[in-house]
Amino acid sequence: MHKLFVHPLPVRVWHWINALGFVVMIATGIQIRYIGLIDLVSFKPAVEVHNAVGFVLIANFFGWFLFYLFSDKIRVYLPELSPAKHFAASFRQLKFYGYGIFKGQPNPHHVSVYHKFNALQSMTYQIVMLLLVPIQCFTGVLLWDVERFQSAITLAGGLRVVDTVHVLVFIFFAGFIFIHPYLASLGHTWSAHFKAMITGYEEVEDE
Amino acid sequence: MSTSRKILVVDDDPVVGKSFDRVLSGKGYAVITAQNGEEALHKLANENYDAVFTDIKMPGMSGIEVAQKIKAAKPWLPVVIVTGYSTDAYRAAAEAAGVSGFLQKPLSPEMIAGSAEKAMHEADATPAPAATMPQLAEAADVTAAGDAQPASRAKNIALFLAAPFIGLVYVMAMPFVAAGMLAWFAAKALAAKVPADVKKFAMLIGGPLLGLGFILALPLVGIGALGYYAVKSARKE
Repeated sequence: MHKLFVHPLPVRVWHWINALGFVVMIATGIQIRYIGLIDLVSFKPAVEVHNAVGFVLIANFFGWFLFYLFSDKIRVYLPELSPAKHFAASFRQLKFYGYGIFKGQPNPHHVSVYHKFNALQSMTYQIVMLLLVPIQCFTGVLLWDVERFQSAITLAGGLRVVDTVHVLVFIFFAGFIFIHPYLASLGHTWSAHFKAMITGYEEVEDE
Repeated sequence: MSTSRKILVVDDDPVVGKSFDRVLSGKGYAVITAQNGEEALHKLANENYDAVFTDIKMPGMSGIEVAQKIKAAKPWLPVVIVTGYSTDAYRAAAEAAGVSGFLQKPLSPEMIAGSAEKAMHEADATPAPAATMPQLAEAADVTAAGDAQPASRAKNIALFLAAPFIGLVYVMAMPFVAAGMLAWFAAKALAAKVPADVKKFAMLIGGPLLGLGFILALPLVGIGALGYYAVKSARKE
């Protein structure tokens, strides 16, 4: 087992701000969307906290985006252009998650500095970080001030469309927030990946 | 001499690798070539070699850098510099990196054979410990990124921005690929069991359907090919 520096400081800072922010956004989002069903706080403070944390997360996203855009770590998020390689690696990984992991088989993905994600993670994070998060930020800003962004809302298909998209992505993220820690606990010990996201060093098995 | 002795020759000129192969393959060595430092580091990360012979001036990483990275990750591995223009500065840098020797071009068969034998003696004197490949893989990884040219940076940014859409295509294609794989494995399993007349009947039904599939796919393949050649010719211009 040797240590590999995989998560630079900006990524770790972004990650933990994002994690905390997502929990707050999901909690306040549920409160705003399903008022009456859940009454943790009253409506107005929920909206105010949701808006404030939303802007923090937008700034945080831009920090993440610029870091990857202008550093050599951009390679972490580059797609696999060979479908054959991508699907072969994806099914190998699925087989591991569905079967191999319960049999104590080794993870078919070997982490390296520029390949920290396996094929499934890579595909998921590309969609989440470069499509769903921007969509959520954009629709969130439109919903933050409906009057000011009336023309943009109309262009996007109306308030109902913008709201539906925002809620659907919110449902996806709410699911993601449960799946993500579970998958993060599948390292060689349950806490290995959590520690790595604090120290920056992943413990990688020697080949 | 055992046939398991493996030598990696790193040179952008393929003639050098061929010379080594011609001289050494008859003497029980396996000669593997790499055309640049990055390729060499990847090969070293994935396989064990007994010695490395590297040119100094190559596109991308220089031979001195290759030697430094190899020595940092595998200090026991003999590295010999092969060069046509050895300056004092190069020699000093290479010696500081811990190379085993220099071979001055033009190379004679005697020089190649003698140098390989010397390197093997050194390799035998300092055996390799286990589990070092990941470190070299990291070195190759880091180097590849560090050497990124502006053109590849622009390409990386374009790919970075295109990544979610490629990811979406993969997500949408995944159930079909999975279904196709299942059908393929099922067909293979069935083919091993079903009698010949059932196979004939299946071919009778499946043949026309397959043909229809080809006909339907043809325009798409044609459009794809046209697009591919259009992009290719646009790039050339």
